[in-house]
Formats: sequence, structure tokens, C-alpha cells
Amino acid sequence: MRIAVPREVHPGEQRVAATPATVQKLVESGFTVAVETRAGEHASFPDDEYREAGAEIVDDARALLADADLVLKVDAPTEHPVLGVHEADLLKEGCFLACFVWPTHAHELLERLAARKVTTFAMDQVPRVTRAQKMDALSSMANIAGYRAVVEAANQYGSFFTGQITAAGKVPPAKVLVIGAGVAGLAAIAAARGLGAVVRAFDTRPEVADQIKSLGAEVLCVEVHEDGAGAGGYAKVMSEAFIAAEMALFRAQAREVDIVITTALIPGRPAPKLWTADMVASMKPGSVVVDLASTQGGNCDLTQPGEVVRAHGVTIIGYEDFTSRLATTASQLYGTNLVHLLADMGGGSGFHVDMDDEVIRPAVVTHAGEVTWPPPKAAPKAPAVPASGATPVAATPKPATPVASAPGGKKKGAHAAPAKKAPSLAMRVLGPLVLVALAVGWVWLRATSDGSTADPSVAAFVQHLTVFVLACFVGWQVIWNVTPALHTPLMSVTNAISGIILLGGLIATARPQIDAGVVLGSIAALFAMINVAGGFLVTQRMLRMFRKE
Amino acid sequence: MDPILVTTGWLAASVLFILSLRGLSSQLTARRGNVYGIAGMGVALLATLTSDAFADGGTTRWVLVIAALVVGSFVGAQMARRVAMTAMPELVALLHSFVGLAAILVGYASYLQTHGEGTARTIHLVEVYLAVIIGAITFTGSILAFLKLKGTVSGKPLLLPARHLLNLVAVALVVWLGSRFFAAEDTSGLWALLLGTLVAFGMGWHLVAAIGGADMPVVVSLLNSYSGWTASAAGFMLGNDLLIVTGALVGSSGAILSIIMCRAMNRSILNVVFGGFGTGESKKPAVAPSGDGAAQEVREASVDDVVAALRAAKSVVVVPGYGLAVARAQHAVREMTELLRAAGCEVRFAIHPVAGRLPGHMNVLLAEAAIPYDIVLEMDEIEDDLPDTDVVLVVGANDIVNPSAMTDPSSPIWGMPVIQVWEAKQVFMMKRSRAAGYAGVDNPLYYHPHTCMVFGDAKDTLDRMVAALRA
Repeated sequence: MRIAVPREVHPGEQRVAATPATVQKLVESGFTVAVETRAGEHASFPDDEYREAGAEIVDDARALLADADLVLKVDAPTEHPVLGVHEADLLKEGCFLACFVWPTHAHELLERLAARKVTTFAMDQVPRVTRAQKMDALSSMANIAGYRAVVEAANQYGSFFTGQITAAGKVPPAKVLVIGAGVAGLAAIAAARGLGAVVRAFDTRPEVADQIKSLGAEVLCVEVHEDGAGAGGYAKVMSEAFIAAEMALFRAQAREVDIVITTALIPGRPAPKLWTADMVASMKPGSVVVDLASTQGGNCDLTQPGEVVRAHGVTIIGYEDFTSRLATTASQLYGTNLVHLLADMGGGSGFHVDMDDEVIRPAVVTHAGEVTWPPPKAAPKAPAVPASGATPVAATPKPATPVASAPGGKKKGAHAAPAKKAPSLAMRVLGPLVLVALAVGWVWLRATSDGSTADPSVAAFVQHLTVFVLACFVGWQVIWNVTPALHTPLMSVTNAISGIILLGGLIATARPQIDAGVVLGSIAALFAMINVAGGFLVTQRMLRMFRKE
Repeated sequence: MDPILVTTGWLAASVLFILSLRGLSSQLTARRGNVYGIAGMGVALLATLTSDAFADGGTTRWVLVIAALVVGSFVGAQMARRVAMTAMPELVALLHSFVGLAAILVGYASYLQTHGEGTARTIHLVEVYLAVIIGAITFTGSILAFLKLKGTVSGKPLLLPARHLLNLVAVALVVWLGSRFFAAEDTSGLWALLLGTLVAFGMGWHLVAAIGGADMPVVVSLLNSYSGWTASAAGFMLGNDLLIVTGALVGSSGAILSIIMCRAMNRSILNVVFGGFGTGESKKPAVAPSGDGAAQEVREASVDDVVAALRAAKSVVVVPGYGLAVARAQHAVREMTELLRAAGCEVRFAIHPVAGRLPGHMNVLLAEAAIPYDIVLEMDEIEDDLPDTDVVLVVGANDIVNPSAMTDPSSPIWGMPVIQVWEAKQVFMMKRSRAAGYAGVDNPLYYHPHTCMVFGDAKDTLDRMVAALRA
């Protein structure tokens, strides 16, 4: 099977359908590949690299296409400006063509391709199901467009994205509003956050809120509750009440934000007009609007498709070729999508078009002389809506911005054992101190007890001393393990248990008749009891407050 | 009850107390620890009240005892319920004073009741004297600490002209009175005991009076320790091992806390107790830390600036200090934390060991505001992360974030471990005014290129920030 990769002829198109890296993969899977000379010129892939990857370089587009079984392109076939013929007419009869087709607006083209019995695979019609993600060129391109939109905005915007406080004064961060948080929108959010802007995002589909938050942007909401999720992970047309609320929200935002990036598309319809002329007028001079929907008419009233215009001091970027402006990577990702597609269809040895395949069928728009678009509704159309809602966006190539890790992920602190430098100090200070005390005590007792070693009171004293010293050691060891965060509860609990002196007061009252000692003991017991009750209760109160996430 | 059983009960209580302190080693077991403590106290009380010595008391005696216990419990419970978490240092100090007072009373009661012969009598008198003296020092010291913390008495250290000599004279006086007391027959030494108590009262007062406000955490820990030793001394006096053990546990606990606090300030206990620090005595504060002669300009930020920086930040570290407690701003901090975390920002807290007026004070305040304890970190735990932190908010802290501790050997706080907030990309310092911290030391952090000052009451500022973050 012979693959042809022609040079793109659409004005301004910089991309190419195969790169040296993808050519190599195609050759490995058993295809022979021919590339038109200078096909990768604008995407920075010279002919020599294609040659090294195993492709044949062909000078003449006519010859190239005439004997190709498969043709890989970016844009749909169009009039060839040099040869003066329509590209479709150059294709070999019955060949296979993969490119972006946009069949809704391309009836004439479809007829023309069907007449030449071409099997046309529309890369823009790949269903958004899990299996097809690896060949979902729309997501790859949207990701790039989102990123590029931010770069273009930064190019036109007269200030920093990130806020700075410098010796020369402070610069507030740019406020960016992203409308539509599909793949492009999320990529734009990530890129704008990466540059340090404050980012807000709006989407009609509630389930994308978490994805917006995960990229560090703020989610804007309207009061009307309506699920905007349509089939295949796209948005649908919303009710009037919702749109009114949405517009009010945008009007409020217009006065505040510096940069607006609109990415709202509804499949098969002109892009909704979300950013009206009066919103543009109310924006600060120097603000920038980037309209990623300009190919479908634009989300902004004032967008001129393909142009950068200024209105009311606001720059409105309506380029139609955001992806083309990042041609190298765009070609690489698109080429890889094509490699996956061909591998899925059997590779170089077993290539065939399976019209029963639920991924292939919807994207095949002409086959065996017939226009096969739109595909029959019944068979493959239902890509399990509840699940699909999240899948297409979540699983697409996530922008490589470090996603702010959830706080609390850091498991470090909480109760790391406090430093155990205690024993050394205990040995150094307490040990000698105790020895000295014992020696002094012994000498003193010897001196005062006139030699009678058997004095029971001395024996009792020494016994108490033993208990005391051991208790000090136990206390020393136990307390060093207390976590510093609990030092206040430790103090209040020791307060409570030092109220044990209560027993001293009670013992003093243990007498047959009331005397001064009994009264003093009772008063002591009263104060000690305040300590016991107060200490334990306040500790309990404090400890109850400590909570974990 | 069988005396063996009573002693066993006391032993059980000792073990329960040890388990109680052990429980505090982690937040997960802390509550159980407190329950052990309560159980220990219950067992001890039960064993004592059912002992044989109690069997032959009259009704009046029982009425007295039960009245004391009931009234004491009631008063204690009221205090525990009413106290604000910001006022914990005061409560703790007040409770210490009660232990001291109880020890004095028990000492007197014991002296008036028990009489031995020969060596036994001498030993007992020494024990009584020690218990009363330590109790008296604890009592007045704690009362003054309570008043200082409450603000009734100024936090400024009182430095009498010959204060060290004064202390020495007092000690000598106590020793001399002691010798008179031991020598006296029967209870005729009561005058010496009374005079000794008065001198000890004076000592306790003077000791705490000479210590500055910034050293209050150490003072409170020290008094905690004293109250333990008091209980131990009473245990010796009464020949009761439970009192000895419990007192020793509490005494070590307080001693360790004091050591930790002192280490955190790079000073010795002696320096804290006798140093008269934080006074302006050493004429430091006047010296501006100008190295290059450039004008030391403080940059001021508005609430909006702070909010903008917080909005853009991925990670924020809050360093709270005593000012947070004074302004009672912990709930405002919590609200701010929640808003920031909801916006995907990582918020953590860095606690210096001597932040606040009580060891662990900040942790309790933050816990009261329902801030999860796993985002509240010790100084050592957060140190390495500071250079990667976008914004540091210093709320009412000063000396614990003062770079001169590391850069200026002539600074009074030279060598004290500090939280190196200036490593972060941006520091906002909330302060009521430009005044120096408790240590009376100027803070070069104010002039640091990463720092912006936010002047005003911490709570007010935080409330306005929360409102702005909500908007």
C-alpha cells in the first residue's frame, strides 16, 4: 500500500499530514510512503529528514497522487493553485483519503469525491469514544489552539500576565476570562495560569467545573440551572433564560477582565454570539479578545475571521489558523493521530475499511461511489452519554502545566515523632544531679541519725526517693514524645493531674474530730478540685477541636 | 477498705496518669489520654475516700469534704467552660496558683497534725518546709503571671536595682528560718514557717516580675514544673507514693517544656529567669540595621494588593503570632484559608515553638477555628518548602521571623531559630503599628525587598480580605 503526503495548498496552511517521525512509524507498519517535495517546509521538516525516515520524495503532485492508494492530508481537497485543477480530480479512483472535511459545509466536495469512488475519512468526524481518543485530531488541535490563543493574546496585551510588586511599583496580574472549557478552553486556562494570570472560566456543562478548578481557575456560574451537556461531550443550545443570565454575567465580567478567550462551538451550527459589541465597548482600552470560534463565524460580534481588528480600543483576534501557527507540534500530533488511525484499520498489510466498525463508520463520508454522510443514526451514534460527558476532555492530552496538587496531599507533618534528642540531655543533666542529691542525702542522714541504720523513717524516705527518681525518668521519657502541637493540652492535663494534691487535703481531714488541720485540708481539697475539674474539662474541650481532614 | 487495696488503687492511678501523658504523643490518641487521666483521678479519689483512715470521721467532716469537692468541681467546670481559647495562658497560670495554694494549706495542716520523734520528725519537718516554700513561690509567681497575661499588670519586666542580691538575701533568709523551724519543739516553730512562707511569696512575685512579656511561655512552663515539684514535696511529706509519682511527672513535663521554649529562643533557663530580657535595658532598639546606608524604606500594601497576590498564588504559608490571639483573628484566618483552598491554593501554617504566650498556643487557636491540624506544621517541617512558597502571610508575629537572629551577632535575639519567611517569593506582614516586637528589637524583615507591610488590626484586615476574596 502506497501512502502519499502532498503539500498543503490552502493559503496560510503551515501544517503537514506526516512528519519524519510518523513516516518512520508508517514505514515500520508496512506502508510505502511518498512525500511531496517541500511538504514539511513550513513546519520545519526538510525533505532530507523524510528521506532518512524512509519516504520517497516526489516533485510532482500530479504523479504523487496518481498512484497513491492512501492520501493523507490536513485540509480538505481544494483547487490546486499551481496546477489549476481541483485536488480531488488528481486522486486515483477508489483510493482512501484522510483529512479534515467539515462535511456540513462541503456537499459539493463530497459529491466530487464520491464520483471518483474515493473513500473519504473525515478526521473531524471521529466519534468521541474512548477507543477513538488516540485518533481524535480535533482534541489534539484544540489543545494547541487553546495554548496559542493565550500566546497571541499576550502578544497583543500591553502588560504582564503575572502580578508583580517591584521597587518601581506594583503591577496587577492580568484577568483572563475563558468562555467554554472544552479541550481548547482548558488548554487556554492552563497556559494563562502558567503565565501567572488570574483566570476565570465559564461553561454551560456543570461537570467541567472540577476540571476548571483543577487547573487553578475560578468557575463562573449563572443562577439558572440547566445542564448544557449535549451528545458526544459537546455543548448544546441553551434555553433563553439561561442565555439571558449568561449574558448578564458576561456584561459584568467585561468591565473587569483584560483578556477574553472564547471557545464556544456547537457542532453543526454557527458559533453562538456570546461576546456582543456592547461588551467589547465596555472593556478597558488595551484589552484583548481572542475568538477561537472564528472559523464558524466567531463568538464575538466584531470578529473578522482571519484578521486582527481594533474596536473601542480593544484588540480582537480572529485568526482561523491558530494551530497552523504552531505548525511543528500541530503536524506531529496530527500525524500521530493518522498513524493510529491507519494502525486501527489494519496497518500496511491488512488495511481495509470496515463499515461496521463503530469508530470508523461515522467518519467515513464517501465510500464506493456514494456519499455516506450523515451516518445512519441507529447503529453507532450512542456513545453512552453519562460516561462520555467527562471522558473526552478528561482523557485528552492534559496540558503539561503542573496541576496544583490538592492541599493535604502532603502527608509530612501531622505527627512526625518529635526530636528524640532528649535522652542525651537527660543523661547529661539529670543523671549527675540525682547522684549528687543521693550522696548529699546519705551524708546528711548519716550525720543526723546517730548511727542507727535501722531507723524506719529513714528507710521509708529512701524508698520514697527511689519512687520519685524513677517517676522523674518515666516522666522525662514520656513527655518528650508529646507532639508540640499538643503542648497546651499537655499543660492543662498536667494541671489537672497535679490537682492530685487533693489527696493531701483529704488525708489531712481524715481525723476523728474537727481541728485546724481538717479545715485547712478541706480548703486545700477545694482548690485542688478546681484544678482537677477545670484542667480535665478544658483539655477535653481543646482536644475535641483538633480535627483532621 | 483493705489498705493493700487502697495502695493498689493508688498504683493503678499512677499507671493511668503515665498512660494519659503518653496519649498526648499524637492527636489521634490524645482524647483517650485525657480519659485515662480522668479515670486515674477517679480511682485515686475513690481509693482515698474508702480507706480505713476515713472510716471514723464524723458527719460534719463528711459534709466539709463533700462540700469542698462539689464546690471545687463546679467552679472548675465553670472556668473550663467559659474560658476563651485566646485566654488559655491565663487559665493555665491561675490553675498553677491553686496547686501552690493547696500545697501550702496541706503543709500547714500536716504540720499542725503529725508529730514524730527524732530523725523521723526532722525529715518530716524538712518535707513540710520544702512543700510550703515551693508552694508559696508557685502561688504568687502564678498569680502574677496570670495578672501579666491578663494585662492587668504590665508585661514590662520590673527590675529592682539590686535584684540579684535581693534574691540571695531572700534565699538566705528562707534557709535561716528553716533552721529555726526544724529546731523548734512541738508546733512552736509556726512563726518561722509563717515568716518563711511570706518570704517565699515575695520571692515568687519578684521572680516573675523580672521577666518580660516575650518570655511568658517559659515562665508558664516553669511554673507548671514548680506545681509538679510542689505536689511531689507534699507526697514526701505525707509519705504518699501516688503524689510523689504524679508530681514528678508534672515536674518533668514542665521542665521539658521550659527547655524546649528556651531552645527555641537560643537562651538558657538562667538567662530567661535572671536575664531581665526584652526591656530596653541593653540599648539595642535604637540601632537601625542599616548595612549599606540606603534609606530603610517600608513598603506598604493595601488589602487589595494582598488579595490579588493571594489569588495568583499556588501556595501560601501563614505564620501566626501572639497578635493573632490578641486580635482574636483565628476565625477570619480560617475563612480565608477555606476560600483559598477552594480556589485550589495550598495553604499551610508554620508554627514557631514560642509563638504565642503558651507552648502550643497557636495550635489550639487554629484548632478552635476548625483548621485541620494536618496543615498546621512545625517550623522544621515547613522550612524546606519556603523558597517555593508564593506568598507568606505573617499575622501578628515579629521576633520569630526576624532575620537579624541569623545575620546580626550583636542582636539580642542572635542565634534564635527563626522561620525564614523572606525565602518566599512574597511576604505580607500584618502589624498593628511599626513598633518593635516584645523583644524590643528592630526587624530588618520590614525593609526586605520581598516584604510588604499591611498595617492595621489583624482581624479587621483579615475580614476585609475575606470579603474581597468572596467578591
